[in-house]
Amino acid sequence: MVDQSIAGPAKANASEGDRSGRARIVVLLLCLGLAIAVMLSLTSGASDASAVNVIGGWLVGIIPGDAALNARDSLIVYDIRLPRVILGMLVGAALAVSGAVMQGLFRNPLADPGLIGVSAGSSLGAVAVIVLSGTVLAPLAALLGTLALPLAAFFGGLATTLVLYQVATRGGQTSVATMLLAGIALSALAMALTGILIFVADDRQLRDLTFWSLGSLGGATWAKIASVGPVIVLALTAMPFLARGLNALALGEATAGHLGIPVQRLKYTAIIGVSAAVGASAAVSGGIGFVGIVVPHLLRLLIGPDNRWLLPASALLGASLLLLADAVARTMVAPAELPIGIVTAISGAPFFLWILLRKRGVIDL
Amino acid sequence: MIEARDVSVAIDKKRIVANVDFEIRPGEIAAIVGPNGSGKTTFLKALSGDLAYTGRVVLNGRELSAMKPVEAAMVRAVLPQATTLSFPFTVREIVRLGLVGGRSGALAGENARLPERALARVDLDGFAGRFYQELSGGEQQRVQLARVLCQVWAPVLDGGPRYLFLDEPVSSLDIKHQLIIMNIARDFARRGGGVVAILHDLNLTAMFADRIFVMHRGRLAATGSPRDVLRDDLIEKVFDCRLKVGVPPAGNMPFVLPQSSVS
Repeated sequence: MVDQSIAGPAKANASEGDRSGRARIVVLLLCLGLAIAVMLSLTSGASDASAVNVIGGWLVGIIPGDAALNARDSLIVYDIRLPRVILGMLVGAALAVSGAVMQGLFRNPLADPGLIGVSAGSSLGAVAVIVLSGTVLAPLAALLGTLALPLAAFFGGLATTLVLYQVATRGGQTSVATMLLAGIALSALAMALTGILIFVADDRQLRDLTFWSLGSLGGATWAKIASVGPVIVLALTAMPFLARGLNALALGEATAGHLGIPVQRLKYTAIIGVSAAVGASAAVSGGIGFVGIVVPHLLRLLIGPDNRWLLPASALLGASLLLLADAVARTMVAPAELPIGIVTAISGAPFFLWILLRKRGVIDL
Repeated sequence: MIEARDVSVAIDKKRIVANVDFEIRPGEIAAIVGPNGSGKTTFLKALSGDLAYTGRVVLNGRELSAMKPVEAAMVRAVLPQATTLSFPFTVREIVRLGLVGGRSGALAGENARLPERALARVDLDGFAGRFYQELSGGEQQRVQLARVLCQVWAPVLDGGPRYLFLDEPVSSLDIKHQLIIMNIARDFARRGGGVVAILHDLNLTAMFADRIFVMHRGRLAATGSPRDVLRDDLIEKVFDCRLKVGVPPAGNMPFVLPQSSVS
């Protein structure tokens, strides 16, 4: 027998390989980061309105009699910046969490709603409502009111995801090559159909449509938040419950089932959640790309792939990054505005290439 | 007890497993042997609930098809042949996934320490912090076994026996670790559980199995104790090669010696 004190392994650290401690700290820091991003967004913009004064005034204003608020500043912060900040947080969180969930579902770090055509499907649904709500879809639009747009975007995204899943998954295994290629085909199809709609659109509709292709938070209003906010909040609340199942799914569908995970239910919940979140986001902000792939990837490097931490962390970082991107979009060419989709693409696309470079030889198509 | 009666499995209308009867009692290691493509893995997948089958599979008195994933997960854990991973999980994170169903059967408060203990049992002390994807094939296989052990840590839960389904658990292991793993299986059975293992090494099978199921072209060719089943004529026919089975006088463990020429 070999003397264990020499040949035996070093005493195992009780928390070795457990990254939840680090994840906890990162999530706390991300909360702080989000708070800073919110403050930055509320205070920056084309106007010099000071959110500090407004918020200070609001806090003080609770005390009756004190209403020393500058009415113009108040208007800008409450009716223009605040809805935009809230919408930015919702959309950023929705896109980042959807990316993380979809990557867990497809068991692949390259799955992203924008990359594999889900966003294109959502856009098609939304564009159809914008262009056809006065004619073919008039009864539907009348029936659903402001919900028509997010619902159409939702079903567009859902249909794309379902087709994609059917095409790319055989016997519980998802072929990455098939998934990406099918995503390209579905994107092309959705964009072609969108093109037809743009072709028949009138000038006013064309102006509405322009922002789909580029993405913007510019049209943020309290009304829009009221129509898509609940959908996004519901999806964001539901998706963390999938975390344990998605972790098990990393071992394969069969093994996840052996561990006691109801895999079919998990898959359908994930697909519906992602479609709802992405669809609702697309309905209000158009095509904002790369958030869903960059954010989860960065976080996996930091805290590992455990979805119990990855999903909330993605929501926080996605919200913060989109606020920052929007701040850049609003201030770069002030008083004009860059579409935010351009900002996320300019920063996200090179990052995506960097992921591919780092993974060279590992990504197995 | 697990009982399978007249089980057949067809994939894309091709019959892979035909009319197999199988049973295992608590306390036993049942080995499934047979040449490549004889339907061993397919049968085990049917038994695990992964594939649609005809016939009956009953786990501890309940029909498998009527059990929810979480109910089946309480009764049996499954080790697949190989597991590829899409994200950089650490060894500890993988092993801990065995506890996701929530009924390891360990004493209250012990679950947090199970990954460590399971890793120690498969001789992977100190591996908890390593990345799974950076391990060798044999080490990965043992990590997966540690995960499986966490899932059914107590071989008996609420008075009912639990089972390990192992698909080629030792195929990528060196001889020391083959013995370690087979002894874990034996220990699991002695403490009241049952083990179903697909094995290729007939000598290891003879050494550890209480009962052998020989599969050939999707059917059960023979079943019985190692002494009953490991006979020159039967094994030569099923595996289509020449070999000699010997029984040393002192022990009663048969051994299989392949001959160099084929058939």
